[in-house]
Amino acid sequence: MTSTRAQMSTTTTHADLYSWLDAALGSHWAEAGAAWWTQALERVGGGLSGSAFGATLSVASRYAPRVDLDPGADALDRAHEILPGWNPERWDVLEATRARLLLARPDLEEDSFASDLETLCQHADEGELRAIYKSLALLPEAGRFSTRAAEGCRTNIVPVFESVACDTPFPFAHFDDLAWNQMLIKGLFIGAPLVRVVGLDRRLNPELARMALDLADERRSAGRPVQPELWMCLGTHGGQRALDSLQHELASDHTAGRRAAYLGLARAGHEGLPEPDHQLSGVHERTLAGDIGRRSFTLLED
Amino acid sequence: MRFFDPHIHMTSRTTDDYQAMADAGVRAVIEPAFWLGQPRTTVGSFVDYFSTLVGWERFRASQFGISHYCAIGLNSKEANDEGLTREVLELLPLYALKEGVVAVGEIGYDEITDAEERAYQAQLEFALEHDMVVMVHSPHRDKKNGVLRSMDVAAEVGIPMGKLVIDHNNEETVQSVLDRGAWAAFTLYPHTKMGSQRMVELVKQYGPERMIVDSSADWGVSDPLAVPRTAALMLEQGVDPDWVEQTCWQNALEVYAQSGQIDVAALEQKPQVDQSQLFGDSSILRGQEPRVDAAVVN
Repeated sequence: MTSTRAQMSTTTTHADLYSWLDAALGSHWAEAGAAWWTQALERVGGGLSGSAFGATLSVASRYAPRVDLDPGADALDRAHEILPGWNPERWDVLEATRARLLLARPDLEEDSFASDLETLCQHADEGELRAIYKSLALLPEAGRFSTRAAEGCRTNIVPVFESVACDTPFPFAHFDDLAWNQMLIKGLFIGAPLVRVVGLDRRLNPELARMALDLADERRSAGRPVQPELWMCLGTHGGQRALDSLQHELASDHTAGRRAAYLGLARAGHEGLPEPDHQLSGVHERTLAGDIGRRSFTLLED
Repeated sequence: MRFFDPHIHMTSRTTDDYQAMADAGVRAVIEPAFWLGQPRTTVGSFVDYFSTLVGWERFRASQFGISHYCAIGLNSKEANDEGLTREVLELLPLYALKEGVVAVGEIGYDEITDAEERAYQAQLEFALEHDMVVMVHSPHRDKKNGVLRSMDVAAEVGIPMGKLVIDHNNEETVQSVLDRGAWAAFTLYPHTKMGSQRMVELVKQYGPERMIVDSSADWGVSDPLAVPRTAALMLEQGVDPDWVEQTCWQNALEVYAQSGQIDVAALEQKPQVDQSQLFGDSSILRGQEPRVDAAVVN
């Protein structure tokens, strides 16, 4: 956690982020005609702030399309090198444009920027919120924005939630345990893809396991299936109660749930996993290969 | 058939309404900013309201395969609070230029006071500066005079008539609006304003050009299915189906697509609903099975 923060305070990282975004956006602005873009960057770099900056961020939607940024595999590797855990694979051109505009502010490290960012969020539409939340990890002293990011997790608009929670090292690096645990449980509620939460396996904890097991009990009492991704929130922390709940799931007729529970038992270090039947053979192979990290919880449906 | 309801206040409606609208073929709506049925007392109420129009409400609509656009503006009733008006007009640039905002609206007159006129003019100037479409609310009282005056003032400011929609028309005002080259919209209310039968007669008499049917459904007694119901009545009474398409879909699309904020090609495609991707069961579904890949019936 601290290593991320330390790295982000170096100006080298920021120069790298600028070049990464400029390179990723380069082809778009070459095709689209760069007049607005050049002028916007200049004005922001010259100190544009307050509602004038907000208006620039808004009207970006009239110049930059919501099409995939599609930076390519090499650029994605490079992104991860610059900022471990940062995965802009699903960014669109408009989001990258807005991120670059944010980073162009000359006062990034000052209170004026933090205060503007809060006001921007209060007035933001869905697209702006997505771009701002996706950009938080790229900002210097990003931990300043953890309260704002936690607010982002209270949304019921799933794409906004994902912008805070997924493909970014921000929550892992900056959320306290309460915000972290609430984010993961909320993700289960709204069906957000927890497999894309960076650092999930490294911040599993007993309180999270208890909350997840309580939720599993609630779902069963209501006669509803347990979300398969719930079983990735336990790790080694749930004790006997976790093992019982996982075994219960394994005995159900819910294919994806059974597979996830099997992985959950392996993650708990449970000795003597049951003999895999045909539904479980795929995940059994994953466990044999030691593939029991968060990403192993993908493709559990037939 | 598919329908575009270009004037409806969805924040006042339920998810049952959304479902019924989707089932009846409503694919797109425009929600113009208006009042709450009682005056707001602070600019913060406008901030939250405008934010809802470009945020949560759009998301809610998308769960039913309905594209939600909005118009941002200070309505005429609340323009009479001049202190508040100043503050709201300062908010305008923060919201009116956002994605999916297709017009400045609904603005215009209520009692035709000087304060209303100042707010109307200021917003027309904003629209002109940003090349935006304007949606005008025409007053209930002294309607004919209000309609004429709202067109005069818009023309003085320099708004092209092709970007001016006058709403809540009736038999007494339609001719003057069409003569000026503006778009004439009609709000179909079950008991007041216009009824569907009167609308059928108007389309028969004036033809489909620049004529727009909307529901203006809100927190009052109103019908979110007014557009499809009126279309059905038109067809039943022998109105040319092309005219029905024009007045209940194409005209609204044409005038508001001038904003550049409507992806017409995407809207022309049959919508698919996937609530499981986007919906929180802690919010709206509340335990129902999400609808996945169900084509919206129309």
